[in-house]
Amino acid sequence: MRPFYFLIMTFLYWNTTPVNAQFYQTTSAEIRFFSSAPVEDIEAVSKEGIAVLNSDNGEISFKVMMRSFKFEKSLMQEHFNENYVESEKYPAATFKGEANSKIDLDSSTPQEVVFKGDFSVHGVSRPRDIPVRITVKNNGKALKLESQFDVACKDHDIKIPKILWENIAEVIEVSVNAEFQIITK
Amino acid sequence: MKKLLLIQFLLLCSILQAQDVDSLMANLSEEKDYRVQATFKSPRLVLLQTNETQKAKNLAFWVGHRFGDIGGEFGGSNTLFGLDIATDLYLGFDYGITDALTVGIGRSKFNESYSGLVKYRLLWQEEDSMPLSVTLFGQSSWITREPFSRNEFDKESDRISHFFQVIIARKFSPGVSFMINPGFLIRPEAQVQDIDDSDNLFALGIGGRVKIFKRISIIADYTFVNGLSRPDDLQTDYYNPFGVGVEIETGGHVFALNFQNSQAIIANNFIPNTTKSWSDGGVRFGFMISRNFNLGPKKIAN
Repeated sequence: MRPFYFLIMTFLYWNTTPVNAQFYQTTSAEIRFFSSAPVEDIEAVSKEGIAVLNSDNGEISFKVMMRSFKFEKSLMQEHFNENYVESEKYPAATFKGEANSKIDLDSSTPQEVVFKGDFSVHGVSRPRDIPVRITVKNNGKALKLESQFDVACKDHDIKIPKILWENIAEVIEVSVNAEFQIITK
Repeated sequence: MKKLLLIQFLLLCSILQAQDVDSLMANLSEEKDYRVQATFKSPRLVLLQTNETQKAKNLAFWVGHRFGDIGGEFGGSNTLFGLDIATDLYLGFDYGITDALTVGIGRSKFNESYSGLVKYRLLWQEEDSMPLSVTLFGQSSWITREPFSRNEFDKESDRISHFFQVIIARKFSPGVSFMINPGFLIRPEAQVQDIDDSDNLFALGIGGRVKIFKRISIIADYTFVNGLSRPDDLQTDYYNPFGVGVEIETGGHVFALNFQNSQAIIANNFIPNTTKSWSDGGVRFGFMISRNFNLGPKKIAN
């Protein structure tokens, strides 16, 4: 009974833990966004993005709290949270997706990968293809991810009053800069 | 054997669990406790101060107005429902030294008074741990008008009064906020209009706002003065100040369009001197407008 049982369990373990399954995580991803309008440029930054990446199947999950964005003017920060993204109702922006190509952990040259998935902000989720440049560091112990993409306010039901069109851009430029560390079991 | 099986099974489950991007994310998402923002849109409600202060290095310019009685013997069509009359005008500047500390100066038509205020945010409501915001408010006022009678102000200090208030506020939901403001007015005997009235007065304010649209709120506040330390049998009819209004926020401006029975704008004047009542047409229209100027650095720090 016993040898047979251990055989089954070993088989199950072996089956559920593929040899090359590797997870990376970060809790300090830097997310910036930039709005360029005739009257003023507005920039905000958060360094509290959290994310997990499975390098085996390219699955990624990314999350940043809207409240963690810092603005140069604190009244702007209040208006951003209160009037635009309504962060009490919709506290976080998220992205969940999968890479369309394999991440090569042995290569140290930057790789261009597109993550296909759902990007959600202000409670509205949109399918997006996000281009990401991945650089493998420290022999695969760390991954650097860089990405730039645009977010249109109206895609996510973020309403800008007509009288403020000169102050706030309709399309916001977002850039992400994150260093993922390998999760050691 | 069964026990071993169970342990094996649980171990297997936990490994399966750890395999998932989502479960790893769930382990990471320990949410930070952020300060609740914008309990009120403005440092002032209708008559009372709110727990809000100026942002650091931001200057606000204030313009306030109180018109005359809408009805009663002083109102009606003769004064275009009070619009011909200005019972009080207020011009002031408030400056945020830090996000927690605001100083301000102002001048009121009522009693031709100059006032200085200090506001300090003691406690900030947080999403999880701290249920309330508490702000301390102090305001001194200096009456500069000519004396009504020769011996009204014997000495210069007879013209000065002080008002202190503790503002306890809570934002219950994105649209609903309330506050309770216990306060104390210290005034010299020379400023007491009714001979039986006490010099110093306790006041207890309550106020709230309900958002009806994202940028438009209904605001109201009521201040108990009668029935606290004020004697009951006075010659003059004093009423408790009560105001309701609509508050409109447009970026750097906040407009409040109000109806209230108090003739004066600053607490040092309206706490002791509200002689008009809502019931006999003594209610008046008024407004309070603030324009915010950011005097801080233009570039983001990092």
